[in-house]
Amino acid sequence: MHLLDWIVMLGTLLTIVAYGVWKTRSVKSVQSYLLGDRDLPWWTIGLSIMATQASAITFLSTPGQAYEDGMRFAQFYFGLPVAMVFLSIFVLPIYYKLKVYTAYEYLEGRFDLKTRTMTAILFLVQRGLAAGLTIYAPAIILSSILNWPLTPTTLFIGVIVIFYTVMGGTKAVSVTQKQQMIVILTGMFIAAVILVFQLPKDVSFSDAVGVAGKMGKLNVVDFNFDLSNRYTFWSGMLGGVFLFVSYFGTDQSQVQRYLSGKSLTESRLGLLFNGILKVPMQFLVLFVGILVFVFFQFNHPPVHFNTANVDNLKGTEYESQYNQYSEQYAQLNEQKELEVRQMIQAMRTEDDATLTAAQSRYENIHQQENQIREEVKELISTQNPAAKTQDTDYVFITFVTTYLPMGLVGLLLAVIFSAAMSSTSSELNALATTTVIDIYRRSLAPDKSDQHYLNASKLFTILWGVTALIFALVANLFDNLIEAVNIIGSLFYGVILGIFVVAFFMKRIKGSAVFVAAIVSELFVIAIFTMSNYGIISIAYLWLNLIGCILVMIFSQLFSMIRR
Amino acid sequence: MQTHEQETLEEEGGPPIFKSWNQMYAFVLILHAIIIVLFYLFTHAYA
Repeated sequence: MHLLDWIVMLGTLLTIVAYGVWKTRSVKSVQSYLLGDRDLPWWTIGLSIMATQASAITFLSTPGQAYEDGMRFAQFYFGLPVAMVFLSIFVLPIYYKLKVYTAYEYLEGRFDLKTRTMTAILFLVQRGLAAGLTIYAPAIILSSILNWPLTPTTLFIGVIVIFYTVMGGTKAVSVTQKQQMIVILTGMFIAAVILVFQLPKDVSFSDAVGVAGKMGKLNVVDFNFDLSNRYTFWSGMLGGVFLFVSYFGTDQSQVQRYLSGKSLTESRLGLLFNGILKVPMQFLVLFVGILVFVFFQFNHPPVHFNTANVDNLKGTEYESQYNQYSEQYAQLNEQKELEVRQMIQAMRTEDDATLTAAQSRYENIHQQENQIREEVKELISTQNPAAKTQDTDYVFITFVTTYLPMGLVGLLLAVIFSAAMSSTSSELNALATTTVIDIYRRSLAPDKSDQHYLNASKLFTILWGVTALIFALVANLFDNLIEAVNIIGSLFYGVILGIFVVAFFMKRIKGSAVFVAAIVSELFVIAIFTMSNYGIISIAYLWLNLIGCILVMIFSQLFSMIRR
Repeated sequence: MQTHEQETLEEEGGPPIFKSWNQMYAFVLILHAIIIVLFYLFTHAYA
């Protein structure tokens, strides 16, 4: 990486951090630290909500997903604007009326202390584990591509985030997220513009979009109702609303963002701002992936995008085999480029027969290419059975580091780091707030001074930060750790959501019924997972979210009827 | 009987660009519907 890129990257990141720390230097009370004095305007809240949801993986994986699978992933977010309206109408006024610090605080008023404490603990376990992965996931990709050592890369992200989150609390998180989001959106927009300018001179933007369309990459909307298809309009609208209401309504890392608003109006506008901007933003990120796809039709991509995997083959008995595959792949790319140019010419002259013939030949070459890519993956697995051969997360970063001009590489790396830091800081802030408000101040050390809770909040932010960092540092040592964390999340998330659904919509249910229902449901979820693990039944762990939620609702109703 | 929302709305006032929050929500949802229609047209234009 060039010196200018280092200056741009570090300059951008450190300026944002310095601004955040300076801006929050007057934070002196626990209310200020955990709720940011409740003085944030709607645009800061909106950008902060978006920055919390968008992790580094969003900007590394999503363009790669478009490169491989087209734009249909955009439909995943179709339920989000509806969820924002739903929360603005039904949930936000309740939180504001009760003046709560955390979502779980509301549960004590609605049910009782034990339900509040149990839900807070479930959140802490789930989010505490996930925070480490938010740091680890981008660190492993950046270290593979840039040949940076993994431990310093992880420490770089973790230490900076812990520093400014501890210094300024919620306000520092929101203020830095606003700047980080501006950097992210600007960086992605510039990447899209550069991609268009880096197309061959005889290929226009319209040609590029046309080529992507003919290859089935511009499949943004699919109205077919098909349960086996993960991304359709219907799965986005039905499943998406359910998912986003639960995420934005009950996850403290999001709730804390909009509770720091100046007023109910500002918080509502922040949520609605997110509802308006999120889908177009995802479209932009996916479209960048499409442009990378078209770019690689004229600039030959590597046969495998994860250079660390390829480097591991060098000097082994598999190297010559890899080189052969690589050469074959390059030859196929040259043939493919000719077919793409024929397709463009045919589109311009509206010669359908030539277009269909070129498309057919292209498909044939593409299949051969895919076969070679699979062979290379197998070679990598043979040489190192523990290697991760899925390389779509590396597509966009490969383009950034190989083809972007000097200076812009630094800016795009700042985008990735900003995204990692913005989502991690929200998580640490939410973990500390929940620990202090729902456990420490409520049950362990009540009636202490404001200064005492302020210090405790800072201490818990450090503790959660260090826990996440340690987790991120050792994550590499365990093969299935990431999957394990996702599974643990699914074991708890459905039950947490179920408790909130009962709280909001099943008004007759009381605390003891929902508490017992949550415990029984959690046992059921664990039993289903265990049976599935031993092959007695077959249920994918993502379904545990829905099962947990529905079980809590059913059991709450049942226990409530028995008690009456 | 007033809902929590109505009580709070009276305290807070309406949104800055529309007369009521219902109009604001309708604006967000209609805008979303327009975006989906545009995506649909985009999908079919290049299919």
